[in-house]
Amino acid sequence: MSAASQALFANRWLPVLLVTPLALLIVVFFYVPIIQAFYWSFFLERPFGGGSIFVGWANFARVLADPQFWQAGRRTLLFMVVGSSLAVLIPLILAVAADRAIALSQPARNVLVWPKGVAGASIGVVFAFIFNPFVGILAPLNHWFPGIWNPGIDGTDAFITLIAAHVWGGIPFNFVILLAGLQSIPRTMHQAAAMDGAGPWRRIFDVQLPLIMPQIFLTLVLEFTESVTSAFALVDTMTQGGPGGATMLLVYKIYTDGFAGYDLSGAATQTAILMVFVILLTSAQFAFLGRRISYER
Amino acid sequence: MVENAHSLNIAASLVLLLGITYILGPLYLTFATASQSYEYLLRSGLAWIPGDQLFNNIARIFTETRIPLQMLNSLLVALSQAVATCALSFLAAYAIVGFRARWAGVVFALILATIMLPLDIRVITTYQVASNVLAPVNWLLDATGLNGVIGEVFGAPLHLEWSVLNTHFGFIAPLVAHGTGTFLFCQFFRTLPADLFKAARMDGAGPVRFMFDILLPLARTPFAALFVLTFLSGWTQYLWPLVASSTPDMQTAVVGLARLSPDTDGAVPDFPLIMAGALIVSIIPLAMIALLQRYLVRGLVLSEK
Amino acid sequence: MNAIDTAIRAAASSIALKGVTKSYDAAHQVIPPMDAEFRAGEFTVVLGPSGCGKSTLLQMIAGLERVSGGAIVIGGREVQNLEPKHRGCAMVFQNYALYPHMSVFDNVAYSLKVAGMPKPERIERVEAVARMLGLSELLARRPSQLSGGQRQRVAIGRAIVREPGVLLFDEPLSNLDAQLRHDMRLELADLHRRIGATTAFVTHDQVEAMTLADRILILNKGRIEQFDTPKAIYHRPASVFVAKFIGSPPMNVLPVTGDGSVLRLADGQVVVEAPLNGNFVLGIRPEDIVFGTGGPLKARLRYREDLGSHSVLAADLAGEVVRVATPFGVDIAEATDLSLSFPQARLHLFDAATGRALPGAIGAQ
Repeated sequence: MSAASQALFANRWLPVLLVTPLALLIVVFFYVPIIQAFYWSFFLERPFGGGSIFVGWANFARVLADPQFWQAGRRTLLFMVVGSSLAVLIPLILAVAADRAIALSQPARNVLVWPKGVAGASIGVVFAFIFNPFVGILAPLNHWFPGIWNPGIDGTDAFITLIAAHVWGGIPFNFVILLAGLQSIPRTMHQAAAMDGAGPWRRIFDVQLPLIMPQIFLTLVLEFTESVTSAFALVDTMTQGGPGGATMLLVYKIYTDGFAGYDLSGAATQTAILMVFVILLTSAQFAFLGRRISYER
Repeated sequence: MVENAHSLNIAASLVLLLGITYILGPLYLTFATASQSYEYLLRSGLAWIPGDQLFNNIARIFTETRIPLQMLNSLLVALSQAVATCALSFLAAYAIVGFRARWAGVVFALILATIMLPLDIRVITTYQVASNVLAPVNWLLDATGLNGVIGEVFGAPLHLEWSVLNTHFGFIAPLVAHGTGTFLFCQFFRTLPADLFKAARMDGAGPVRFMFDILLPLARTPFAALFVLTFLSGWTQYLWPLVASSTPDMQTAVVGLARLSPDTDGAVPDFPLIMAGALIVSIIPLAMIALLQRYLVRGLVLSEK
Repeated sequence: MNAIDTAIRAAASSIALKGVTKSYDAAHQVIPPMDAEFRAGEFTVVLGPSGCGKSTLLQMIAGLERVSGGAIVIGGREVQNLEPKHRGCAMVFQNYALYPHMSVFDNVAYSLKVAGMPKPERIERVEAVARMLGLSELLARRPSQLSGGQRQRVAIGRAIVREPGVLLFDEPLSNLDAQLRHDMRLELADLHRRIGATTAFVTHDQVEAMTLADRILILNKGRIEQFDTPKAIYHRPASVFVAKFIGSPPMNVLPVTGDGSVLRLADGQVVVEAPLNGNFVLGIRPEDIVFGTGGPLKARLRYREDLGSHSVLAADLAGEVVRVATPFGVDIAEATDLSLSFPQARLHLFDAATGRALPGAIGAQ
């Protein structure tokens, strides 16, 4: 609205008043905690009072020397790459299919947003049951090949279960965004490509996917953050980080270190590291990917 | 179009069928198991067909667990969060888009930054802040030396304390401190023609009048969209209500559900009861999606860019 | 003249519509059975008001819409069941439909790439077309970096690069401003003179139709009202609809009654002698009405519009508004009584019931 700034109101204090309630909440519950995380990563904080002492980089040295931190980091990265890719790829395929004028398109558009109403913790509870090695859906497999499937013992099985639940819960948002992108492609674009000789299969790759690159990029960026930060409910209800730390993601480790281990300084330090990682990751994505696919329609 | 798209349409139908199965399958198994008895589960495992124990299991949820009370908590938290988010985001977005304030761009960026670092990631220090919201004031008093003066005058330095943990306000406030709603309203306001603002000024409407008479009625759809979106997010929150509540009676339903499955090694948990709980806990948000799907989809699309 | 010109001229095919119909549901026929032939190498304009079915007709020729019945024959081949790419047609869309993610070069080259043409040949072809349309400097750009006129040229380049037998245009000038529209019209006419492609051009703008067309097909509610040269359509309109649709201001049409010897207006004034009985519609163009010479018809001036080159007077005549074009500068006070005469040789007579022209009855036909 820069060109239309003549149209705007010129009051000086009213906008300050309007923005204050939200700004106050954001300062108190967003910026103060972030600053505190960085602040405490340089202090040794005793839980529940008792004061704190400045320790310089000692907290970082301690965390970075901890093999469990590195394992959780690697697990988080793996979860992020595999989980996000699938959580974008599967809705993308579904959206391309639902964009066609076929009978199943309408019911699919309806049903595929349902998971939005199921809490991550509920998904975790349900998937933990469905993939339960003794009574779950794969229990018959164990009957014939004993021990082939057991998320309680096998780290890979647990990880797969986690990914399946994560993708399930991520379908609605990504599906809706990608489908909206596909549907905003003008009809004449398809017609022009058809006149140019491109059949419907070819148009998917030459016209549809390139034109929804902004949406694919957006879902991927949001999904990366989402997978790093919001897997807590799934881990807590399905695996509690086990077996053997196979599903110990950083968000869950921070929680257990802080709330169960009372190591507030360690947890704050890991929080600081994780935040820096997320900020760098998001910035890098925007810097490298965002620039290459921004074009006007 | 006159072209042979049969192969693609068949493939697309298959894909959608798989997708629908992937979504509905777990929901169906939840329902089927919730309608069987624990004995059935021990005997035959996961239920493929519904039994006759559904009402029995649901009745047990109501009599043996705190989930009904916790659902009231959830309802209160989700509703308040949705209302507060709608109201505060609307005001903030109007302040950013509707006025010639030089700080608008900076404030907008600072509000948007909240989307990048969700609550789950900074839960430790947010918990500390919530345990004493006034801690920054104390810190300011100390840092400015004001407390030294107060200590000399009143005999003791001022130390304010206000914990919002285990209160409904404490559940809601950190979740309202989020930028999606502001972003959504800003996007919406920017689609309005600039002439609308000009016309209102020509008609002599001041900024407050303009907000109530013009913007508010026009913004009905984004309001509804944001409300649905925030309500669902509030209802499905897990980590924050988990750490911010210290008594079972204050927990939300989702937290209560997760606590239903005991950490038993070896023994098979009472899955029919747990699945009945999962059904009950999901019924309100699912009904909301069924009824207000239009707004949910609109909200998801609006919050996109 | 270069290779592309000759190739397109050689490829030009005729289009024959044989009983083509289109309906979206059983009750409603958008296009009732239609027969027409677009001759090879001719520039045919399909003209009609919005909703007359002209775009549907074009899309059926292109293969973007299915025909409900009948046959379309392009270059002697029945094509109504073929996919668009097998019909030898190329199309320029109203909003150009350029691929925003591709450069100008890739946009033009895309159809050749899909067809599997080797790269060196592709480059040669695209560059030839670019030279012809003045796009050589723009090949590396994205569509978003082009002006409206340049986008238009890219869209045309994309269409002709395949050397199509038929070139289809769907209201391609309607998104341009007045000046650019004028310039592009001249460019299109020039292009057609050079490449001689069979062209079907859909528009609702009669000026585009009159200036570009070899022949104009006028559509009304899916039916052909007239299919003839611009000259014939202007001077011998086949129906009241055509008469009122073409010309600016359009032809005046007045209900008249014949008593066997003369035709009278609704208020009883005699227009012309004719041995006709019954109700008719009389047409006369504004510039054909002779005014101010003490003519027999009495009318009252309502208002005048000075257009610089000439003036248009609007007058009440027998309860109808009649427009008269006069040279600029004829000085008339407002609200005066006018004397008009309708030269018999300039009159058009139409059947009152069907609206069809009655050639030879009187005057111009």
